[in-house]
Amino acid sequence: MRTKRASLLVTLLGLAGLCAAREAASYPHAFTPQQSKSEEELLTLPGELGRPGGRLVVSLRAEPKTLNPLTAVDAPSREVILGAMQADLVHINRATQLTEPALATSWRVSADYLQYTLTLRKGLRFSDGHPMDADDILFTFRVYLDENVHATQRDLLLIGGKPIAVRKVDALTLVFQLPQPYGVGERLFDGLAILPRHLLEKPYTEGKLAETWALSTPANLWAGLGPFRLKEYIPGQRLVLERNPYYWKQDGKGTRLPYLDELDFLFVPSSDAQVLRFQSGDTDVISRLSADNFFLLQRQQRGFTMADAGPGLEYNFVFFNLNDLGEKASSEMARKQKWFREVKFRQAVSLTVDREALVRLVYQGRGAALWGPVTPGNRRWLNTSVPHPARSLDQARRLLKEAGFSWTNASNGDSVLVDSGGKPVEFSILTSSSNADRTKMATLLQDDLKQLGMHVQVAPLEFRSLIERVTQTKEYDACLLGLVSFDADPNSDLNVWLSSGGTHLWNPSQAHPATTWEAEMDHLMEQQLSATTYEQRKKLYDRVQEILAENQPMIFLASPHILAGAKDTVGNFHAAVLEPYVLWNVEQLFQRDGAGSNSK
Amino acid sequence: MRYFLRRTIQAVLLLFGVSVLTFLFSALAPGNYFDEMRLNPQISSETLASLRAQYQLDRPLPIRYAYWVSSVLRGELGFSFAYNTPVGPLLWVRARNTLLLTLTATLLAWALALPVGIWSAASLGRWPDRALSGATATFLIVPELVLALGLLIFAVRTNWFPTGGFVSTGFETLSPANKLRDIVLHMALPVAALALSSLPILLRHVRAAMAEVLGAPFLRAAEGHGIPRQTLLFKYALRAAANPLISLFGFSLGALLSGSLIVEVVMSWPGLGPLLLEAILARDVYVVIGGVLLSTIFLVGGNFVADMLLYRADPRIRTESAAK
Repeated sequence: MRTKRASLLVTLLGLAGLCAAREAASYPHAFTPQQSKSEEELLTLPGELGRPGGRLVVSLRAEPKTLNPLTAVDAPSREVILGAMQADLVHINRATQLTEPALATSWRVSADYLQYTLTLRKGLRFSDGHPMDADDILFTFRVYLDENVHATQRDLLLIGGKPIAVRKVDALTLVFQLPQPYGVGERLFDGLAILPRHLLEKPYTEGKLAETWALSTPANLWAGLGPFRLKEYIPGQRLVLERNPYYWKQDGKGTRLPYLDELDFLFVPSSDAQVLRFQSGDTDVISRLSADNFFLLQRQQRGFTMADAGPGLEYNFVFFNLNDLGEKASSEMARKQKWFREVKFRQAVSLTVDREALVRLVYQGRGAALWGPVTPGNRRWLNTSVPHPARSLDQARRLLKEAGFSWTNASNGDSVLVDSGGKPVEFSILTSSSNADRTKMATLLQDDLKQLGMHVQVAPLEFRSLIERVTQTKEYDACLLGLVSFDADPNSDLNVWLSSGGTHLWNPSQAHPATTWEAEMDHLMEQQLSATTYEQRKKLYDRVQEILAENQPMIFLASPHILAGAKDTVGNFHAAVLEPYVLWNVEQLFQRDGAGSNSK
Repeated sequence: MRYFLRRTIQAVLLLFGVSVLTFLFSALAPGNYFDEMRLNPQISSETLASLRAQYQLDRPLPIRYAYWVSSVLRGELGFSFAYNTPVGPLLWVRARNTLLLTLTATLLAWALALPVGIWSAASLGRWPDRALSGATATFLIVPELVLALGLLIFAVRTNWFPTGGFVSTGFETLSPANKLRDIVLHMALPVAALALSSLPILLRHVRAAMAEVLGAPFLRAAEGHGIPRQTLLFKYALRAAANPLISLFGFSLGALLSGSLIVEVVMSWPGLGPLLLEAILARDVYVVIGGVLLSTIFLVGGNFVADMLLYRADPRIRTESAAK
């Protein structure tokens, strides 16, 4: 009996050795896992226990452009890198919108809110098996903050224009020194991928970091801390990721996550084609659905579940050109800007918008009417006391009359709104031609405003031309746009509300605030940046929302719901309102039948 | 020989002209690749300016053109802002997939158009010809896009064909025979869409060219001599009608890289279509310029091949160019 057991043990050890050797062969840097389990501090996740194995297939609207977190700016690259391949020190839970431990098990904030001390998880390894420690973190922040690297993350790590400093205390402890108090410093770490020093230090010193980790990188030269690692990239077709065997999370039963063996991203260039591929069973999950497609899939439901996660963080709005154009302004533009600068004019426009109709007609009811930038999906920061005035043409007319506008009858009998100089109120609204929802919204707005006697033209423009007009040449009257906050926290929209911000769309990059209410908003936003308790910050941000409602520099319209779907076989599928909507818990997703999408 | 030399010089000049014009037009288009980041509240204008400088978007146009020409000579065809890699390799891989699709479709369309067109011309004015004319007219007015969408709906309804892509997931686990079957099934619908959209034009040309020749006195004479109809049609008439068809074949070759872009996007075929569409929208200008240049090379090449074939087929061209 004893010999039998011993031989079984030898066989098992032999098999394990073989597996390790195979792994080491495909990953030259691989270290065979010698550490005992007790030295590893795995994070245990709650949730439905899944079944290991299988493959999940997801479609992407466009190919990711790179696997390099430093140069990734396009949505597909960010979705793949941040959603599946990399991990951050502290993570914002997409479902609760609160921070939670990730690579750092805990963090301590000094009394003056200038120092954050982070403790790293023990026994962390990159996906190639190389151990990760505090030196990798020092390297990562050195790279992010280096001006010559041009990392887009650098702006996030500058507070009040000064960079964060990082110091290593020991192999597992780091101190982050902030240049000025920052209330929610730990949120800064979300989405900041930790880079492997052993692979990237050489290209960094050679100044070739931007070109490394292109899509064609061999799998063994890439490493991350996320649930999946690179397996194969086929240009124009798909990106195949495989399970990271060193991932640092486990389920309630102690099974190491992720459950799935493989995660495939298919490149499907149009949203309708994405729906077709999902319908025909080629893909397992689908997100970013338009209301039309959502209804279509819901009607034909065959073996899949559709989910409405409620309003997301996208807010759509219309704004007028309030830029100081100086000499550049034509007399016609100067006249129009006189109307636009009149707060009663903007309030009247806001009162005329039929927001409920927008939600009904544009989003087929799968959306929320908005009176401010914070959507009902962001419960923690929404100021519920901001008034939601009902549509009122009478009140709008009264406001316009008070502001010196009047009405005359045109030759065809229509009532025409004229300004104090007797000129008819006519302007155009720019909108992105590639966004059908916004174009529809602009047309509805045109109809609404006609009832006030305003003659509005809708001008759909190709997206980049539109951005150039709004931010560079400033040759426009009004514009209908939408912004999506990356995070539920107000700091993610700092540059929208600060008058010096580049995305302060109605009058960007001001040297000094043009109006007193903009000065007040600047002051409030800066105050909330350094305020330390949620209550203090909420009070300050509530006031910002009130100022926006009073002055209407942006007339907020509506926010679409986050609509997604998954095959019934996909376990743990819960759509979130923060990106990545469906893959946010990719390590816990599993195939109930153990296989997943396969060839037809 | 001088004839070919002249054609080559013309081709090079044409390519130079096309490159200058596309460069100019892409510079005139409002907005640039980094503009979308302007709407990202988390990226500052200083970072944007440094990115623009890094990719030399702030340099004057002639200098950018000079840089680009030097990279063309290295085979890189410029640098993609989005992919952070040279454009050449991006285009080659996808051009291969495009060619697989378009070559198959073009060959199929020609293989159908020649016999059917000849047959239609031979039965000129009778009912088979009329029925065919009706059918070609119908296909002529249906845009390629609608045709592709229709085929996709067919695929979803019947589940007989895949709804897009190049291969199925799990392709690597299939046996060689099944791999071939998988690719053929994926190619079937896009090839059908492309072939059906080019077939009517080819048919009409073949029919017209043949009909013109069939009325010629030398063929009537040949018919009177009792030469069999098959030999008459395929040996004598087709040769006489070949001139316009060879020119048309040149155009078919020229359109190999540019003719399938819409179908590729609709059917998510991993060719040049999706890449170029995205590059145009994102102002990844060197990818666009590279794509245009490559298509022009094909167009010029197609015409060149047609010229050579004409030179061989038509003795009049040979004597004309010899006389010069």
